[in-house]
Amino acid sequence: MTALLIVETVVLAVLCVLMAGLLRGYAAVLRRLHQLDGGAAATTAPPFRTAAGIPEPATGQRIEGRDEWASSHDVDGVTLAGEIVSVRTVGVEHDTILAFLSSHCEGCTGFWQELGTPGSWTTPPGSRLLVVAKSPEDESPSVLTQLCPDDVDLVMSSQAWADFEVPGSPYVVVADGRTGRVKGEGSGSSFSQVSGLIRQSVDDSRHPAMARKPDSDRRRERDIDRILLTAGIGPQDASLYAPAEAVERTAVELDERA
Amino acid sequence: MSAPAGKRLTGHGLSVGLPPRWEGRIYRRVVAEAGAQPGRLQAAGWPGELSHPVLHLANFALPPGRGDFGTGAVERMGPDNLFVSLLEFGPDCLGSALYAPAGIPRIRPGQFNPNGMQRRVAGQAGFQHFFTEANRPFCLYVVIGSHRQAVPLAKQVNDVLEQIEVSHAG
Repeated sequence: MTALLIVETVVLAVLCVLMAGLLRGYAAVLRRLHQLDGGAAATTAPPFRTAAGIPEPATGQRIEGRDEWASSHDVDGVTLAGEIVSVRTVGVEHDTILAFLSSHCEGCTGFWQELGTPGSWTTPPGSRLLVVAKSPEDESPSVLTQLCPDDVDLVMSSQAWADFEVPGSPYVVVADGRTGRVKGEGSGSSFSQVSGLIRQSVDDSRHPAMARKPDSDRRRERDIDRILLTAGIGPQDASLYAPAEAVERTAVELDERA
Repeated sequence: MSAPAGKRLTGHGLSVGLPPRWEGRIYRRVVAEAGAQPGRLQAAGWPGELSHPVLHLANFALPPGRGDFGTGAVERMGPDNLFVSLLEFGPDCLGSALYAPAGIPRIRPGQFNPNGMQRRVAGQAGFQHFFTEANRPFCLYVVIGSHRQAVPLAKQVNDVLEQIEVSHAG
């Protein structure tokens, strides 16, 4: 009887494994068929809600083939008022939040609405918001004029879309002014929704772990290295380290004091 | 009239090479048409006004909606910041005594004056000069973020003024 039970259990376990494998294979076939049928692979996180006080999960999905720390680019273009503009995002003290929006994208509606509603969303301190639309020949300046409030900095530049390899609108990129690198990017339905991503990008760059060593410290280290090397003292040179017995003596003294 | 790639800004017969950290904008004020209803894009000029090119340069983030003399921008300046405005005036000014000096000037640190501002801002100092370049009358208005730092800031201003080119009026 016991032997029969053991055999049945083993058979059941094997069947479960086989079933799981079949289901997995079936799912892969369905996914592949969906792609072949012209359906896009799911690249965005499903809509989500969190209870009050619980931070939202990161919404920015990694985009295939994109370098997370790609170079940032300055933006050259024209404004709706005809200003010819060159905006710096590289080599400056502030971060730049580039919102790539369009006059004819449904997904941009939430962004335009929040831009026109003062107080609905604020940029992190020390950062600058720049709305980037495509150049006038690829856009509708008259519709953009209706959508974009006067006090919002909007630059029309198809070159910027190409430089930042924007996959589509809406798309938000956070450019780190000091390093000249992109430090966050993603899409969403409104500034409020992507604000978590933006805030995280900005906060990360100010985290003590990301702090750069002061230039004076690096200069001093270089000077000391140069002097030591000139004197024939290289890395691992014994004279740089206290003898083992001295280290042990110091440890004993510290123990005694404790 | 275009926003060129690279760090040279060109338009309305003005061209400037932008040093690192500097950004710039060239524009003519949008002039309201007679009887026009206020729209989203507010015109800064008055009906019938003949607007002329304005070049703004700064080593900080220039905000939208600035006044010709930097209102809205100079208030955001830190002590290391600089704001340069080059404003063209109408041809009727040509030949007048005010615009008699020829060429884009270079500024000595002592020429910056806290009272030279359009509106006084604590710590800042301004400089204004009228001149004619390429048969076009201009006003150069410069604000430095710190009067105490006039010596190094004047050098930076002169470096960028060196990069400005004015085409002859057509």
